[in-house]
Amino acid sequence: MTDVRTASPAVSSLVVASAADIVKLYGSGDTAVRALDGVSIEVLRGEFTAIMGPSGSGKSTLMHCLAGLDTVTSGSVSIGEVELSGLSDKKMTALRRDRIGFVFQSFNLVPTLTALENITLPIAIAGRKPDQTWLDTVVTTLGLTDRLHHRPSELSGGQQQRVAVGRALASRPEIIFGDEPTGNLDSRSSGEVMGILRRSVDELGQTVVMVTHDARAAGYADRVLFLADGRIVDELRAPTADTVLDRMKELER
Amino acid sequence: MSGALRTVSIRNLAAHRVRLLLTVVSVLLGTAFVAGSFVFTDTLKGSFDKIFATVDQGVDARVQPRQSYDPGVPNALVARIRAVPGVRAVEVHAGAPVVLVDSHGKKVQPGGAPSEGGLWTSGTDSVGPVPAFASGRAPTGPGQVVINEGAAKKGKLKTGDHAKVVLPNDGVIDVNVVGVYRTDAETGGYIGVLFSRQQALALFTDGEHVGSLDIAAGPGVSGKELAARIAPTLPSTLEVRTGTQARADDQGGIQTALSFINYILLAFGFIALIVGTFIIYNTFSMIVAQRLRELALLRAIGAGRAQVRRSVLVEAGIIGVIGSGLGLAGGVGLAYGLHALLDAFDLGLPAGGLVLSPRTVIVALLVGTGVTLLSANAPARRAGKIPPVAAMREEFASMQAGSLRKRSIIGAAVTALGVLATFGGVLAGSGGSAASLIGIGLLGVAAGAMFLSPVLAGVIITPLGKIVGRPFGAIGQLARTNAVRNPRRTAATAFALTLGLLLVSGIAVIGSSVKASINKTFDNNVSADFILTTQSEVSVPIQAAAAAAKVRGIASTTELHFLSTLVDGKHVGGTGVDGPLAPVLQVELKHGGGQPTGHDLLASETFAKDQHWTIGSMHTFAIPGRAAISETVTGIYADSQLLGPWLVSGDVYRALTPRHEWADEVTLIKARPGADLAALRTGLERATNDYYVVTVKNRAEFKGQLASQINGLIGLIYALLALAIIIAILGIVNTLALSVVERRREIGMLRAVGMQRKQVRRMIYVESLLIAVFGALLGLGLGLVYGPLFTRTLRGQGLDSLSVPWGQALTFLVVAAVVGVLAALWPGSRAARTRPLEAITAS
Repeated sequence: MTDVRTASPAVSSLVVASAADIVKLYGSGDTAVRALDGVSIEVLRGEFTAIMGPSGSGKSTLMHCLAGLDTVTSGSVSIGEVELSGLSDKKMTALRRDRIGFVFQSFNLVPTLTALENITLPIAIAGRKPDQTWLDTVVTTLGLTDRLHHRPSELSGGQQQRVAVGRALASRPEIIFGDEPTGNLDSRSSGEVMGILRRSVDELGQTVVMVTHDARAAGYADRVLFLADGRIVDELRAPTADTVLDRMKELER
Repeated sequence: MSGALRTVSIRNLAAHRVRLLLTVVSVLLGTAFVAGSFVFTDTLKGSFDKIFATVDQGVDARVQPRQSYDPGVPNALVARIRAVPGVRAVEVHAGAPVVLVDSHGKKVQPGGAPSEGGLWTSGTDSVGPVPAFASGRAPTGPGQVVINEGAAKKGKLKTGDHAKVVLPNDGVIDVNVVGVYRTDAETGGYIGVLFSRQQALALFTDGEHVGSLDIAAGPGVSGKELAARIAPTLPSTLEVRTGTQARADDQGGIQTALSFINYILLAFGFIALIVGTFIIYNTFSMIVAQRLRELALLRAIGAGRAQVRRSVLVEAGIIGVIGSGLGLAGGVGLAYGLHALLDAFDLGLPAGGLVLSPRTVIVALLVGTGVTLLSANAPARRAGKIPPVAAMREEFASMQAGSLRKRSIIGAAVTALGVLATFGGVLAGSGGSAASLIGIGLLGVAAGAMFLSPVLAGVIITPLGKIVGRPFGAIGQLARTNAVRNPRRTAATAFALTLGLLLVSGIAVIGSSVKASINKTFDNNVSADFILTTQSEVSVPIQAAAAAAKVRGIASTTELHFLSTLVDGKHVGGTGVDGPLAPVLQVELKHGGGQPTGHDLLASETFAKDQHWTIGSMHTFAIPGRAAISETVTGIYADSQLLGPWLVSGDVYRALTPRHEWADEVTLIKARPGADLAALRTGLERATNDYYVVTVKNRAEFKGQLASQINGLIGLIYALLALAIIIAILGIVNTLALSVVERRREIGMLRAVGMQRKQVRRMIYVESLLIAVFGALLGLGLGLVYGPLFTRTLRGQGLDSLSVPWGQALTFLVVAAVVGVLAALWPGSRAARTRPLEAITAS
């Protein structure tokens, strides 16, 4: 799988998600806000991308648009071969269900379900049976084997977020989107969760895109995109926490 | 600060209009019933008062029999009273229920209003103003009548038309309508047929007595003085009332009848308010939970506990005042609607404007606001206890209410007391004390169930949800776990249906048992092939029975008469019989003979025991001023619903009943063996056709007639309970709508990870269905236990068969399930509209 990371971007079958010249306007007329101002991006299979930027840079909006949670004003977004604009709510939902995984900042687990039930929830919603071998792999990766039958309220924040990652992984999506996945975690739990995401890319071949403002989290990615005022202003490959911090400081200057 | 907090409360209400609306609606419904019941009865009372004011206009004194069985005012007394100094006019009253038949031979239906024959009083004898004529003139000779305008309109009759009048004793008489009179004193559907004085006295009196006398005083004589002057002329069976007293008597009678309606409506108001209490409590609990951070912030910036608590109560107060104000208006609407509905059914209500008394306004506002404040009190206290730190900390967001232990212990204790009282009632057997003990028991068990229902919700919904939710997979599981996520809330929501179905199913059991008992009594005792009855206030004319007896193929006819008389000085009703009993009635004899002839007296077992009657004992049957007859007990029969406490011969009946009142309660007909029943029926119908009111029924049809009367009564109760179910629906809508708001973020997440809108809706439907079915099951369970227990206490009244309408119970359950889904339609579609982004952006 490691070769995928170095493959040529021209090979389109390796592009899992792409955005071409997308613009997102909020409001209209004089009060319109240009949250995204002509962003183009390609996400390759097996690649771990972090999106960074100061507050209001449009990084969350970009992720929402890429993940089909929000619509763009102009430009086009694709997941795999599927163009998202014009997709019905039903098809969009099915696409999210079958091909996209989500990890939210505030875990967003169903409090009445056990950890395992939360992990298999998207599969159950689709009315399918989970692939047991895969599930075992995921659960082992999460390191939650002994906590599977606990309710979210009985788990620590880090454990809850690991369950959330498990939920994203369980249906073998083509891409996982993370929205500040470490935002509510202490540094140790952050490290654990980022480690799992990293392993899912390295060992399971997952593709991950996450928005973060945490330089250390971004250090786990293969590349970091920097956004400012709705535009991609910089890109950093093979980052470390330090190089990310340096670049951020430059941008803020 | 408190001013600022008040602003926060008010802004809050304004910001959450849906929430405000739902809570207001729940307060509104409860108060609407209370206000509606007062407005409705006040309105009827006002209308009746007006009618009596018209009817009794000019009455300064009234002479009337003391007892209903007394024969009336002797004719000779009329002249004597007229001679009393100060008497200006004496108006004679004599009348009876009649049926008016129009020119085409069709009965003119009065609906629920009276249809009566009477006497036209000319100007000089009239105490009040004489009614004006719309057309025509007063009746002067035999066969001439005037009818009221309402009857003329209904029967499409006008002056100069021919019509018929059916009377119990005289059968059918032909009349000419010589005039149509106007009166304000009528209820919707009222039929008044007034004859000339001479004919009225012939038709409606025994020739020696008249019904009552209304007397007007001359100038300068007060009603009191007039009454005092008349009193010495009266025998002991008569009394004189002043005009004021007479009016009060009439109004008092109506008041009693109306207070019954008032109590029923108030009972529904009470149920509505109890149900409303749960809805309000739920709403405020959820409001507090949703505003947790905001309230904690207020605490953090220096608001005291009491201030926070008060701010919630201020919200409740505003909602209470708005809700009860609207409820008051709703009550007026409800009263108006009820009036219109009953009018549409032609139940004979008087017309008149709605009466909204200050008492109604005060009670509605106090009750509505009070209940709201009371219901919001616990959530408000909880709000006060929110620690300021909750503003900053995530974990408080799902602050748990205290454990259910204390509540469950109270519930178990109250239930135990209820069960104890119930057992006491069961041991007490039948009768009033048993019924009250079981009633107290039911109250205890229902209250206990209310306390225990959060625990029961988990116990019942979890397995139920596994069955119901199975076809829906993960959706079903989510729905099930959502339904028990907050057991208090689920319990409070479901309890409305519990109460409704408890009452409905209990009444269904009693109604069904009554029908079964009637059928059993009838099947076991009645062997007549045909039964002549009427479905109007006029009994079967004796001529009709005589005509039926001549039809070919008849073996025997047996006439049963209702006799109301003094037995050994005590007023008791019983039966008089003409014709052989044996072929048509299976009377089980305990002692002596079965067929009373001459002065034979038969008594029921229970009555004989209570009165210490034995074979051969002598008893006096008497109407003072008419006859006194000595009767000898010749037989004792097993208690019979059809015969009542005692049975005498037709001759005794006729001796004690004035001639103009002679009639058959029912006429039982036995066919000759091998007779063609269809032909016989045609013959009977032809023979009785001329009497208009008589219907020929075979055994099955007669039973059906009895059953349909009971069904009608039960139907009325169901209709009122349907309103309780509407409130229950609103309660479910309210809870679900607020739950959906509360779980917006979770639903957003479910949408984000791929739950279709359709699936979201389905999840809410199943959750609602489970809550509704849980409430229904609890109510049905209680109703199906207590219905039979109450039935048992009525054994003494002849309710000796128990019948549980399982089919109906199942229908109720299905209705509850449908109600659940219907209630979820709007919250479900609201939930389905949740955007996936709300999982991320909602805070």
